Amino acid sequence: MQWMTLFKKELLENIRNFKWIWVPLVMILIATMDPVSSYYLPQIIDAVGGMPEGTEFQLPDFTPSDVVMMSLSQISSIGVLVIVLMSMGTIAGERKSGVSELVLVKPVSYTNYITAKWAAVLLLTLTALALGMLSSWYYVNLLFGELSFGELLQIIFFYGLWLALVVSLSIFYNTLLKIPGLVAFLTIATILVMKLITTIFSHLLEWSPNNISGYINQMLVSGNVPYELTGTAIVTTVIIILLVAGSIFTFKSKEMAS
Amino acid sequence: MALLTVNNLTKNYDGKPAVNEINFQFQPGKCIALIGPNGAGKTTTLRMLSGLIKPSSGSVAFSGMKQNDDIRKYIGYLPQYPVFYAWMTGKEFLIYVGRLAHLSKEEANKRTEMLLERVGLTEAKNRRIGKYSGGMKQRLGIAQAMIHHPKLLMLDEPVSSLDPIGRREVLTLMEELKEDMTILFSTHILGDADEVSDELLLLHEGKIVESGSMEELRHKYQTAKIELRFQDDLVNYRAKIDNLPSVVTCSMDRNTIHVTATDILSARKEILAAASKEEWPLTSFAINRASLEDMFMKAVSN
Repeated sequence: MQWMTLFKKELLENIRNFKWIWVPLVMILIATMDPVSSYYLPQIIDAVGGMPEGTEFQLPDFTPSDVVMMSLSQISSIGVLVIVLMSMGTIAGERKSGVSELVLVKPVSYTNYITAKWAAVLLLTLTALALGMLSSWYYVNLLFGELSFGELLQIIFFYGLWLALVVSLSIFYNTLLKIPGLVAFLTIATILVMKLITTIFSHLLEWSPNNISGYINQMLVSGNVPYELTGTAIVTTVIIILLVAGSIFTFKSKEMAS
Repeated sequence: MALLTVNNLTKNYDGKPAVNEINFQFQPGKCIALIGPNGAGKTTTLRMLSGLIKPSSGSVAFSGMKQNDDIRKYIGYLPQYPVFYAWMTGKEFLIYVGRLAHLSKEEANKRTEMLLERVGLTEAKNRRIGKYSGGMKQRLGIAQAMIHHPKLLMLDEPVSSLDPIGRREVLTLMEELKEDMTILFSTHILGDADEVSDELLLLHEGKIVESGSMEELRHKYQTAKIELRFQDDLVNYRAKIDNLPSVVTCSMDRNTIHVTATDILSARKEILAAASKEEWPLTSFAINRASLEDMFMKAVSN
C-alpha cells in the first residue's frame, strides 16, 4: 500500500524528468554501436580513404557471441556510468534539498522508502538493459548469424544481476551521504576496487561478481551454464541483499534533519 | 489532560546542549508560540517533537499515545524552509502525502480538495509547485501538515521568510485554524506571536526562561509607563514631575518624558492634577503597557 505509493511516485518522477526516455535510448545506442560498426568496418575504412596500397589487413571473423559480448562490454563501461549518474541523487538529492523532511515526517516506514527507491531504479535499469540487448541481438542475428532467444534471456538475466549490484551499491551510498556527486564517485570507485581485488586474488575469488561477464562468455561458447556462473550469481545475490539491508539499517540510524 | 507533555528534553550537538532539559505541557485547543532569538533551539525542539531527530535524553508524550507508537501519526509538521517536489502539482503532492499517511484513495482525494479550498489554493491546484510563490508554498505546507488529521500542528517560523502579503495570508489562516486545532509555532518576530497565540514559551540558549498566557506575562512584567509630551521645553516640567510623591523615575529624551511609578493610577491623578492647576501645555498623555519586546528582554536578562 504505502510501498506502492512510494514506488508509483518514483515511476512518475522518472517519466516526468524523461529518465524513462533517455536511459533506454543510451543503452540501445551503445549496445548496437559495436555490432553495426564491426560489420561495416570495411566500408567505413573505404569511406575514410581506405588502406594504403599493398597493406595486408585481415579483418577478424566475428562470431555472434563475440559481437554480443562487445555490446555487453560497452554496457559495463558507459552503461554502468549512466546507471550510476541517474541514480546518484535518488535519496541523497532528496535529503540535500530537504524534501525528504516533508515526506519522512509522515508515518513512512524507512524500509518502504528505501526498497521502493531501489525497486524503481532497478526496474528502469533492467528495462534499459533488456531493450539494449534486444536491439543488439536483432543486429547480431541480422548481420552475423544465429544467436538463440534463450541465450539472450540468459545474458539479460545474469548480466542484470551485475547491474542490480551496481544499483544496490548506489542506493547504499545514497543512504550514507547527502552529496549526489560523492555517491557517484564512491560507487564507481568501489566497482574499480572490487575489480582490482578480483584480479589480484583471482585464484581465491573465482565467484567474485566482477567475473560475471567472463562466465557469460564461457556460457555462450560452451552452450551451457558453467557452474562458476551459478556460484557467482549466488554470491552476487547475497551481496545485493546485504547492501539493501545495510541501506535500511544506515537510514534508520540516521537523523533525518541535520 | 495535557495534549503534549515534554519532560527534561535535551539535545546535545558535539557535547554542547542546543536544547537543555526543557519541560512544558499544554492543553488541547490552544495556540502556543515558541519564541526566541535565532539559535535559541526552537527548530531543534520542534524537530524532536516531530520525530525527525532523536532527543539525547528526555521524553515526549502525547495523550492517548501507546508505548513505542509512531509519534509521526499524531503531528503535522511544517519545516522552516519547506521543499516540495517541484515537478508535482499542488494537488498531486497533497494526495501523495495523504496516501503516505495511510489515508484511503477516496479519503486522500476528499481531504485534498477540502484543504486546498481551506488554504485558498483551489485555483492553483493543477499547477506545478515549482511555479508557486513563497506564500502559496507556505500555505501548501500547512495543508500537507494537516492532511492526516493530526492532533497537533507544528509550524516552524511559518511567516518569517514571507513578504508582507504572504505574511498576512498565513497569519489569517492560522487565526482560522486555531479555532479547531492545537497549534505550536515558533517565531522570532514577537509581533506575530502577540497577534495569534494564546500562550507563550520563551526559549533562550536552549532553556525555557518564561512561559504562560499572554495576559499572565503582561501582568507579571507589568511596568506601565506614562509618556508625556509638551508643546514647549520639557526641562521646565521634569523636576516638577520628579517631585510628585508616587513617581519613581523620570527620564527624558528629545521630545518625551518617561515616567514610572509605584502605582500608575495615583501617578496619573497627581500628574493630571498638576497639569490642570498649572496649565501645562500637554500635547499627549499616554499609559503604555509592557510590550512583548520588553518582556522578552527582561526575561532573558534575569
